[in-house]
Amino acid sequence: MIRDFAIVWSERDLLLSGLGNTTILSVLSAIAGLVIAFVLTPALMSKRRWLALAVRVFVDGMRCVPFLLFAYIVYYGLPSFGIRLDNWSSGLVALTVYHAAYLAEILRGAWAAQPREPLEAGVAFGFSGPRLFRRIILPPLLLAAGPIIGNQMIQIVKDSAFLTIIALPELTHAASSIQSRHYVPFAAFITAVFLYWGLCLIIEAGVSGIDRLAAARR
Amino acid sequence: MGMTNDMAVLDVAGISKRFGDLQVLSDISFTVTRGETVCVLGPSGSGKSTLLRCINWLERPDAGQIYLNGDRIGINNGGVVMSDRELSRVRTRIGMVFQHFALWPHLTVLQNLMEAPVQVQKRPVAEVREEAMALLAKVGLSDKCDVFPARLSGGQKQRVGIARALAMKPDVLLFDEPTSALDPELVGEVLLVMRELAREGRTMVIVTHEMGFARDAATRILFMDRGRVVETGRPERFFVSPDTERARQFIQRYAAG
Amino acid sequence: MSTADILAILQGAVVTVTLSFVGILIGLPIGLGLALLRWADVPVIARIVAVYVSVLRATPLVTLLLLLFFALPNVGIAIGPVSAAILALVMNTSAFNCEVWRAALMNFPKEQYEAAQSVGMHASLRFRRIVLPQIVRVSLPGLVNEMSLLIKVTPVLAVVGVVDITRAAVRIGAETYEPLPPFLVAIAMYAPIVFALVSLQRFIERRQLAAEAA
Ligand SMILES: Nc1ncnc2c1ncn2[C@@H]1O[C@H](COP(=O)(O)OP(=O)(O)O)[C@@H](O)[C@H]1O
Ligand SMILES: [Mg+2]
Repeated sequence: MIRDFAIVWSERDLLLSGLGNTTILSVLSAIAGLVIAFVLTPALMSKRRWLALAVRVFVDGMRCVPFLLFAYIVYYGLPSFGIRLDNWSSGLVALTVYHAAYLAEILRGAWAAQPREPLEAGVAFGFSGPRLFRRIILPPLLLAAGPIIGNQMIQIVKDSAFLTIIALPELTHAASSIQSRHYVPFAAFITAVFLYWGLCLIIEAGVSGIDRLAAARR
Repeated sequence: MGMTNDMAVLDVAGISKRFGDLQVLSDISFTVTRGETVCVLGPSGSGKSTLLRCINWLERPDAGQIYLNGDRIGINNGGVVMSDRELSRVRTRIGMVFQHFALWPHLTVLQNLMEAPVQVQKRPVAEVREEAMALLAKVGLSDKCDVFPARLSGGQKQRVGIARALAMKPDVLLFDEPTSALDPELVGEVLLVMRELAREGRTMVIVTHEMGFARDAATRILFMDRGRVVETGRPERFFVSPDTERARQFIQRYAAG
Repeated sequence: MSTADILAILQGAVVTVTLSFVGILIGLPIGLGLALLRWADVPVIARIVAVYVSVLRATPLVTLLLLLFFALPNVGIAIGPVSAAILALVMNTSAFNCEVWRAALMNFPKEQYEAAQSVGMHASLRFRRIVLPQIVRVSLPGLVNEMSLLIKVTPVLAVVGVVDITRAAVRIGAETYEPLPPFLVAIAMYAPIVFALVSLQRFIERRQLAAEAA
């Protein structure tokens, strides 16, 4: 058993690059997903019926589709439209678009649960437009939605493992390579499991930091 | 039967309780005889709730004894702390009414009343139902029997709470500020029910801030301050000429509103 | 794509969805048991459960599945793809269910519990008659949500070769050089199931809100 782990250790470069890919992939798609979500959320609540409906169909549609199937569609489907992406880019696109839908719904829920008075007070004190959004609306919204966004980030990390199936060299893919090269399945995959755990603990630490900020402001 | 008094339903002897560094109850002793309505008064934080909770061992006292009709509560004949099942058996003889009602939201009003008599006391369902309906009539809520608690007003909820405690046919009833969570206009209907129980001669220990009620419904006042029983006596005497300075200040503050 | 192809995909969908329901059925009570161990704060065991839940919540189903499928035979435990799949689903969903149940237990009002004590209910009666009915109600939306999440990850069971929707889709795509239609058919089979669960969750939440407002 110790020998198995020694083998995994000898392949640490592969594993670390997998971990790096998983991390970069997750961080990039979380950020890009949030940005897209911030565009989608107002559209979800738009008074223009057709816009709200279109975005609602997209968001609910994504929530009903298994991520793996969506990733396949992006990977195999985009070339049919003449868009050629390597597996890295198509993985990133799939992860981002898919989770943007979830994040939009999360932000909408947090927004709906916000009390109206602070906003009205902001307006009464002369805030408007982007400044109203940035100074008055956004901070409590992010604090309130922080824990759920954190959960979604964990989901992003976990969904990124699916991309091993389109041969994206992320963490699970790295563990698979090590296992097939040396036949040390337990050591290879349990190491991957603990690395995923570490990533999630970091996210959770971030969330509890946000939570402390929020608690002081309740 | 109790050694001190044949008529003592509840005999509390030297109860003490501390939470960490805080001595919440210090050597509390009193007896409640059959048919008495004892009102426990005192400033908030003086240990009134803790005292009630020690009586039915929701809170475990650090020292002292409690007897219900001569039977020791909390400690069995072998001298060891009662098991959960033994405690459950004695608790059926002590009714409790909660400040925030604590009705079970997943059961209808009638089911709330029937739950313990049927499940715990294992009495026949038909008999329990009949009695429960009679109790609901008594608290004026016959028409609400099939409604869920969420649909009731605070005053109605507390009347159900009282009926639920009565359904067990307990030897003694404990009330912990039963009207404190109510809107002022709903207090009266609950006090009315409690007055009726006092008139019937139910044995009751009532923690309350309703001075008017304590004055004319109590047979005896127990005044607590900082975990001690500071003064005890008949209400007409307690409210007019209390023995202690602390009680006098307390009464004055409440009389002033 | 022929009718036979569509039937193959349909069969795959039926198998994976069945597997996830089996996983949920087993994982639900296990999750409750784990939550109770943590709630009761059983020494040592509660800590072990906490770590188990934390690790499993962080582990992607693919990784867990590969671990079980390849490593268990290595230590002398023979395991087929279907058993590995069920085991992985159960481990995964029990950890999530544990958190849902535990949240409900932690938020369970103390006074409710004491009211049950005060009328003389002993521990198991209190749990059965007072606690369980209420936490089931509170947990229901979370548990349904968890079910839809679980069904959404089942296509990945393909990696260990469970007869499966995605495998059929990949094979057909490779044969016909038209990769897209099989996946679209697969999505058309999954989406209604997940949609039904998501709608069910919304319906329960809305009904409970309405009941509280009453
Ligand atoms: N479970 C507990 N843990 C720690 N302190 C407690 C607990 N319950 C009550 N106390 C403290 O004991 C004191 C008496 O409380 P309580 O019996 O509720 O007073 P009262 O009912 O007279 O207002 C208070 O200072 C309260 O903060
Ligand atoms: Mg109190």
